[in-house]
Amino acid sequence: MSKYKLPKSFDYKDIEVLKQFITETGKIMPARVTGVSAAQQRKLTRHIKIARFLAFLPYTDMHN
Amino acid sequence: MKKYEAVIILNPNLSSKVDIFIKDFTKLLLDNSFKIFKSEDIGRKQLAYSINNHNKGHYLIFSIEGNSLELINIENKIKYDDSIVRHLFISVKEHNENNSSLFTESMKKQKEQNENYEEKASNHNDDDLAKNNKISGSVTSEKELNSDKEEQVDDE
Repeated sequence: MSKYKLPKSFDYKDIEVLKQFITETGKIMPARVTGVSAAQQRKLTRHIKIARFLAFLPYTDMHN
Repeated sequence: MKKYEAVIILNPNLSSKVDIFIKDFTKLLLDNSFKIFKSEDIGRKQLAYSINNHNKGHYLIFSIEGNSLELINIENKIKYDDSIVRHLFISVKEHNENNSSLFTESMKKQKEQNENYEEKASNHNDDDLAKNNKISGSVTSEKELNSDKEEQVDDE
């Protein structure tokens, strides 16, 4: 059992889902840590980057 | 024909004029022979980082379908709109028929706020009543105390 809530498909609007896969500093967590499959990790990465652009997620914790 | 999702972050100071913007934008879409499947007004939301000194943004999400060439026209017009803080057109394979989690959350929040307002209004009245009761209650208790004292004096 993984401790992450994995949806059928990732969406840049599901902030709560994506938040599980970024660190406190806002970095995307490596798949070797989270155990997400390589194909899923690629999709996840894409959606996190969109969410960052739309200011749903931070790029870093250094924002003013 | 391609399916797109348009996310638009509006200037939060113009939140009251959202309806006008939505009208104008839907007109712009329809003029460029776009179909609108769904539009979600998510409302004001805290930004994860400040954009052009804005800490909040008014989010709108549209599910649309149309030609990519006409999308360029739309984007060119939107680019120079001052009321838009940020926008993104993203192509999707399928439109999700369910409301996005963001939209349902914002609806929930709005509902709660409305309920809170009502509760506050009713609580306010209750508080006033309670205060009045307290005051009258304290007065009576003081009287009782006084009468007690008087009785004690009498006994002495």
